[in-house]
Order: sequence, then structure tokens, then C-alpha cells
Amino acid sequence: MRLKGKVAVVTGAAQGFGRSIALSFAREGARLVLADVKEDGINGVSGEVASAGAEALTVRANVSDEASVLNLKDQTLKRFGRVDILVNNAGIYPHSVTLEMAEEEWDRVLDTNLGGNFLCSRAFVPEMRSQKAGRIISIASGIAYRGAKGGSHYAASKAGIVGLVKSLARELAPDGITVNTVCPGIADTALPRGHRSEEELYARAKQIPLGRIAQTEDIARVVTFLATDAASYITGQALLVDGGSLML
Amino acid sequence: MSEVAIVTGGGNGIGRSVCLRFAQAGISLAIVDCDVEGAEGVRDEVKRTGGNAEIYRVDVRNATEVKKVVDEIARRYGRIDILANIAGGSFYRKRIEELTWNEWKEVVDVNLKGSYLFCREVARVMVKQERGRIVNTASNYGVTGSAMRTPYCAAKAGIIGFSKSLAMELAPHGILVNVIAPGPTDTPRVMSRSTPEARLERAQREIPFGRTGQPEDIAEGVYFLVGPESAYMTGQTLHVNGGLVMV
Repeated sequence: MRLKGKVAVVTGAAQGFGRSIALSFAREGARLVLADVKEDGINGVSGEVASAGAEALTVRANVSDEASVLNLKDQTLKRFGRVDILVNNAGIYPHSVTLEMAEEEWDRVLDTNLGGNFLCSRAFVPEMRSQKAGRIISIASGIAYRGAKGGSHYAASKAGIVGLVKSLARELAPDGITVNTVCPGIADTALPRGHRSEEELYARAKQIPLGRIAQTEDIARVVTFLATDAASYITGQALLVDGGSLML
Repeated sequence: MSEVAIVTGGGNGIGRSVCLRFAQAGISLAIVDCDVEGAEGVRDEVKRTGGNAEIYRVDVRNATEVKKVVDEIARRYGRIDILANIAGGSFYRKRIEELTWNEWKEVVDVNLKGSYLFCREVARVMVKQERGRIVNTASNYGVTGSAMRTPYCAAKAGIIGFSKSLAMELAPHGILVNVIAPGPTDTPRVMSRSTPEARLERAQREIPFGRTGQPEDIAEGVYFLVGPESAYMTGQTLHVNGGLVMV
């Protein structure tokens, strides 16, 4: 129980990485705030968190909407009175080649993936500062480094997260707050299924040194490590969790 | 049956903390060091807390000695689950024109060749097991460079390149190879040449976190890299430096 009593906010908690991170935190004794635009999803995960013996608050939140993020912060503090861990996980990945990409789609991806990181971090930092402790963990992607055909907006947003995280790490270190990034490779989630068949998804395993695509638990375990005391001297880093696909 | 780990440089500093962290997790230790007294001290510490440890005196630069000791450990335990190559050091602070060839060789061989030799011998065992974890030690200096430490930086950068290549070679056998990169860390060797005041002054000037690392900070990173949480990571470098270097 390495996170006993800690309050953790997880965005994009309705499914995929967010769900696994929430469940992993719950098993370590944390109290959860589950945020997502998908209300049914977070209600379901809330039940799973409760089965793991942990407390959960669900908040319908759109991370690209300032008022919605402020509401998320208010609900969190009203219920728990503190926040120890923020996991910026919410993200979207529509597929378009750059020359055919609608400006609206570019904005939506950047505002959600990168802007959401900014808004959520900004909202919760004052509380962490006053506690002189805190953990921010943002989920980026290997695509931040290698790019993706049909995903220039996604790659830009994820590379942007890496830059944001390093800068925030420098700003917040004097307050005892660590800020790090986890960069998953291709994973067994809904997101790549938006533009890939099942066969294509699993065929990617052949190109991965460890011979399999990621399961959401692979990512959740590393996020959990970064949230524990064992990682208290690690800040501004990006951890690639991709089975060796990229080695930087 | 408990896991078995070889920790090179286990008799002092970061290596000692790695041994203590592993022992706390129930891992049996083969402590490798050229400093027998240091290694004996760590072995006794481990045994006092109910752990299991043996010491092996080895010069990590000597291929014959390394092969002999790895064979002996493999025979004794019947397996090797973890190799943590911690032995190393910068030893000299000299401009390149003052550095002798022997000094260059000493630094490169202890840090880089020593890691290579242990990886080579241990990989033979791990490939048969179809599983294993290897952690090699680099440094933030392996990425950024540092004046007056040319051989050390060359060796540490070399360890990163070597480890990525080895990670690719060994992945099909279920063996993970990763790198720990400590920042400035308060080991006894470092502190014998410095003072707590000087370290703090430097930390406040250079390190976002405002303090230098403790050997325990690094040991936690190493333990993460050999444990179940990092099972989908290979070929990676984990920097534990309070934000000094962000790669």
C-alpha cells in the first residue's frame, strides 16, 4: 500500500490507460478522482475501484474546457480537501494526413492533449504547492519522438507535452513537486483501433523487440512507480514504455 | 526460491545501497567488488537483516576473472536472475593533455569494459533461462559531457549505446537491458573529496530539486528496473538526478 491516503486525480479515466492507472492506484491505497467526458465509463470504473476497496469520486470533465477543469478542481477539494497526484491521461487521436486535416481537428487535438495538460496542471498546482509536495504524471507517446503518418497533430501535441513537463518540472521542483512523462508504445486500447484492424494492431508486435504490444497494465505499473516515494528524486524525465521500440 | 542478483561494485556507495534494497526484497546477492573489506561489510549488513549474500573479489576489467566468477555463481545458485553493473567511477579530474593512456584505459575499462564482460558472461546463463534483467550504470555526464572527465563521459555514453544494442539482441530471449543514470550522488568516495556545505551550494545552484542524490534514491531506480513494474521497458535510460538533466 504505497499510496495509502493519497488523493489522485486521473483524467481520461473511463477506459484504457486511465482505467488501469486508477485501479493500480486503488490497489495501493489511494483515493481516486475519476475524470472523463464519458460519464458511463467513469461510473463503471468507480465500481471497479470500490471493489478494490478504495474510495472514488467521479467528475464529468472536459479537460480542454477551462470552466470544466475548474469544476474538477473544486469537486476534488470539496470531497477530499487535498490533491497529491495528478495523472494527465486524457487524449484523443483522430486520423488525418496533414494536407487534408481540418483546422478544427488540429485545434481539437492540441486543445485536448496538450491544452488539457496545461489547464489541469495549472488548476491543481496551487494546492500541491501549499502542501509542498505533489506528483504530476503526464501520458505522452512514443509518437512524440518518431511521428506518425496521419497523426501530425497528435505527434505535435505529445511532443509538446514532453516540453511542457520539463519546464513545469523546473518551475515546481523548489516546491517538492515532481513532474514526469510516460510514453507508451502501441497498446491494446480503443485508440489505435480507430484506424487499424485487429490484425494490423497485433501484427505490430513483430516490429517490437519484446514481441508484443503493450497492455494497459504495463503503463499503469510505471505510472504507479512514479507516484510512489521510491521515485521522489526523479523529475523532468520521459520514460518510454514500449517494449524497446524506441531507445533514446 | 528467491531470485539471485549479481551486483558489481556492491561493496560501497550506490552498489551498497542497491544490495540493501535488493536484500529487502528477498533477493539473494552475489556481491562483486575489488574492495573485499567493503564487500564484507555489506555482506554482514545484509545477513544481519536476515538476507542472503556472498562476496566475490574480482577486477571487473579481467575477462578470465569475470568468466570464472560468473561460472562459480551460476553453479552455486543454479541461476542468475539479475545483473546490476554498478562498479565504476571517474577517478581523475584532468585535462586531456595531462591524462596518460593508462589512466584513460583504467577509466574506460572499469566502467565500460567491465560492464561488457559481465553482460557477456551473464547473458550466456540468462539466454538458457530465457529470462533475466540487466541494469548498467551510466551518468548524466554520459549525455551532457563534463570538462576534465573525458574518459568517464566516453565510457558512460558508451554504456548507453552498448546497452541499447544488447537490449535488441537479448529481447527475443526475454532478457531486459536498461540503464540507470545517476546525477551527482553523495557516495562516501565523493564525500571524501567534498563537504556537505559545498555539495549543498552546488545543488542549490544547479539542481532544480535543490539537493544532491543519496545512494538510496539511485537504488530505488535500479530496483524499479529489475522489478515487475518495468517489465515492458528495455533499452531505456532512467535518469535519477533531481531534474539536473532532462533528456
